Amino acid sequence: MPKCKINGQEVEVEAGTTIIEAFKKLDSEIAHYCYHPGLSVAGVCRLCMVEIEGNPRLQIACNTVVQDGMVINNNSEKVKETVKWGLDFHLINHPLDCPICDQAGECELQIQYMKFGQYDPEMAEPKVKKNKVVDLGSKIVLDSERCILCSRCVRFTEEVSKTNELGIFNRGDRSEIGTFDGKPLENDYAVNTVDICPVGALTSKDFRFRQRVWYLKNKETVCPGCSTGCNVKSYYNEEGLFRVKPRQNDEVNGYWMCDKGRDTYKFVNKENRLLEPKVGQSGQWDSQEVDGVMSVMSTKIDDAVKSAGSDKVALVLTGQYTSEEYASMLSYFVGHLKSKNVYHWVNNPESFDEFDGLLLRGDRNPNTKGLLNGLDQHGITAPWSDLETKLNAGDIEVLLVAGPEDPSVFPTLTEKVSLFSKAKNLFWMSAAKTEAADSATTKTWQIPLKTYAEKEGTFVNHKGIEQKIQPMVNIVDCAQTLSEVASALSGQKVDHLGSLVKDRKTNHFINHHGGGL
Amino acid sequence: MEIKLLSEHYDKPEFQGLDGYKKLGGYEPLKKAFQMQPKAIIEMVKESGLRGRGGAGFPTGVKWGFLPDNGEPRYLLCNADEGEPGTFKDRLMMERAPHQLIEGMIISAFAVGSHKGYIYIRGEYNEPTAILQKAIAEAYDAGLLGKNILGSGFDFDLDVYQGAGAYICGEETGMISSLEGKKGQPKLKPPFPAVQGYLGKPTIVNNVETLAAVKYIIRDGADGYRKHGTEKSAGTKLFSVSGNVMKPGTYEVPLGYKLMDLINIECGGLKPGRKLKAVIPGGSSAPVLTAAECADATMDYENLAQKGTMLGSGAVIIIDDTNCMVDMLKVILHFYHHESCGQCTPCREGTGWLHKIVSSIYSGTGRLQDIDLIQQVADHMAGKTICALSDAAAMPAVSFVQKFRSEFEFYVREGRSKVKGAVDAQV
Repeated sequence: MPKCKINGQEVEVEAGTTIIEAFKKLDSEIAHYCYHPGLSVAGVCRLCMVEIEGNPRLQIACNTVVQDGMVINNNSEKVKETVKWGLDFHLINHPLDCPICDQAGECELQIQYMKFGQYDPEMAEPKVKKNKVVDLGSKIVLDSERCILCSRCVRFTEEVSKTNELGIFNRGDRSEIGTFDGKPLENDYAVNTVDICPVGALTSKDFRFRQRVWYLKNKETVCPGCSTGCNVKSYYNEEGLFRVKPRQNDEVNGYWMCDKGRDTYKFVNKENRLLEPKVGQSGQWDSQEVDGVMSVMSTKIDDAVKSAGSDKVALVLTGQYTSEEYASMLSYFVGHLKSKNVYHWVNNPESFDEFDGLLLRGDRNPNTKGLLNGLDQHGITAPWSDLETKLNAGDIEVLLVAGPEDPSVFPTLTEKVSLFSKAKNLFWMSAAKTEAADSATTKTWQIPLKTYAEKEGTFVNHKGIEQKIQPMVNIVDCAQTLSEVASALSGQKVDHLGSLVKDRKTNHFINHHGGGL
Repeated sequence: MEIKLLSEHYDKPEFQGLDGYKKLGGYEPLKKAFQMQPKAIIEMVKESGLRGRGGAGFPTGVKWGFLPDNGEPRYLLCNADEGEPGTFKDRLMMERAPHQLIEGMIISAFAVGSHKGYIYIRGEYNEPTAILQKAIAEAYDAGLLGKNILGSGFDFDLDVYQGAGAYICGEETGMISSLEGKKGQPKLKPPFPAVQGYLGKPTIVNNVETLAAVKYIIRDGADGYRKHGTEKSAGTKLFSVSGNVMKPGTYEVPLGYKLMDLINIECGGLKPGRKLKAVIPGGSSAPVLTAAECADATMDYENLAQKGTMLGSGAVIIIDDTNCMVDMLKVILHFYHHESCGQCTPCREGTGWLHKIVSSIYSGTGRLQDIDLIQQVADHMAGKTICALSDAAAMPAVSFVQKFRSEFEFYVREGRSKVKGAVDAQV
């Protein structure tokens, strides 16, 4: 393995490692825009200049492979001067849009300027005018004046999504990113180009102008959009979630995530949530307290078991919950009730095994594997058709359903609710407010559940990798986890108030000026 | 004194056709080459001291030696994208002596073991393209191209590919991108074309004049060729002389020839009453020489390098005292601003910036500090990019400002040219 010296510090790297990777290994700072570890090397921003002893010309670190014995620095006056000018070349035609630019606060050009620039511009001549607010497709807007032509987005559509929608048109300082007529930037991974855009040239239509990024906090979590379990960061404030961005995990998702996964913040927010327990049927509903519903549920189950045996009670689970929740529900059912009447609701059996070749899987649940593991452990094998038969025969007294957290991935929701309505008493547990649940035709109690953003736990992805989620917000105070439901049913005290988000700072900007959600 | 190897029969119209070409000794060197081992040809080219005639002046035989021995197909590309302002020598050869290029390519392909070649010709060269295509067809009909050429067992196919007029496609990797059907943009090096070139395969790119010269090295032997020129700059060179001389045109002289002789003897001197002000010796990207520097300049790689400029493509632009240097630099920078491919930031932004600064001086709104700024901007463009276009814009800018600073200062102060009779900007 070749050894080299970087700014006086010795480092050993694997053969074939580039200098920029060696810098990253040392956590040593090196300016760059066009380099991205998930894409091919373009070598065009010319910022990652380094001085290599014995070579009179500065070299770019992204395309130079470390050789044994190399002595490299990027802190000599020569390099600093070059990087300063490199930054200047990027800035001379860059518009002063920062106050109105959505990237402000997380713009690499801005960060670089605040670190190394902060001088008056040398250029007295007028800047080049280019197209602004260019519609690239349903998800993305381009501002060509802000674009620094690093070509990351173009390389992404060439190399990762392999859809080739983007290109650089014209040449010299008239160059602009663009799409071909009639072929807009529409693919399931398009918004990754917004993430990798170092400046505010590509912005997401879904997120732009909704929040200044410095008013958002973020936490690492796992995308619940499908069984791949992409590692993501969710951005939120006390109003709710605003966006989801991928974070690197070579085992799972590399650097990317799909655009469907980016929508998984929406069902967390208030407007899509079941906000309180309610009881009723066929559109006639009355509000309830959590404690009251829990005790009714407990009584109904106990009565049914006592009078007709545990066979009259059934539980339906989907792959949307954490392994911990499955464990507590199953131990309540199998251990406490001595019932194996538990069924796996496969939300989309036709497309369940599909895979787009990159990240998105047909199993649009984060934890099907966790559920199957739980069922396995308890030796539960009953097929779905058994439940259908029992329901059709009127054999189910009490049916508990842990329904969808994200109803958009349940294409036959209404159909299923009408099947569940054949039970005498239906306890419908779900985070979502749905017309389907409201159309239940038997006596139904709806109990709000927490979403992945409000609880901790484990998702097991399609490969069997266990990944943790963590709570970040508390949108619906009375919402329960399945574990809380199970402990209530088995006679323990219910703590229905969320214990999360302890220090809620007031965001004056949002409260007094901004729109919020 | 002109020594005519490549241009010997330019004045004979029949030299354009295969029959006329053959009567004047054409395709005899090819037969001789087929009697040799390919490696021996490469050695002979190395010994001849032939250096690339396109601009960079890299030793041709050494370049050929870079091809890896990995059994992959190899490509031989002829760079006929003659775009450097001031250069027109290749055009003349392709028009007057197309078979000379074809023969040079067959010999070179045989030497480097390539079975497929392309002539990448400049987009604007419609007439030379037609002439070349006709000559290639003649060569195929006569068994000089295609399978088993002249019974030698060697196969070689040749096509002409016309570019779309971008200067950057004359840069060898830009040319390869364009030939691959992509946007004409230079590629990162390494890997170099000899290892991974056209379609990712080992590729040799040589200039028209270089490939044609190979024919004469075979005909006369390495020593015969070396007889002309200097030790480090062997052979003859075609110079495209333009600007303020009585007889502008293409002249073939041995390397090491005196610049002033080229101007005064071959080109008939300056126009009456004019004084020499400056010479750009190697195309618009070469740093300019003052009249004083021209006095002892010789046209070869080493002498011009010593003087801080370069032989380049051999485009000699003669500037007399009626020309305004501010105006000239503005024209040159307009060209590089227009032609920068836009890939690397310093070039994309810098070429435009330089052009704007000089334009603002030219239109009378320049500031004195702009003169230093030109140098600073140019300094930070040169050597910082994937290809040399950035340097090509920076070098004339730096040399014009350094050597003719008083003209720039006068222009800034007075808002008009120091040169009497020069056309001032309409402010």
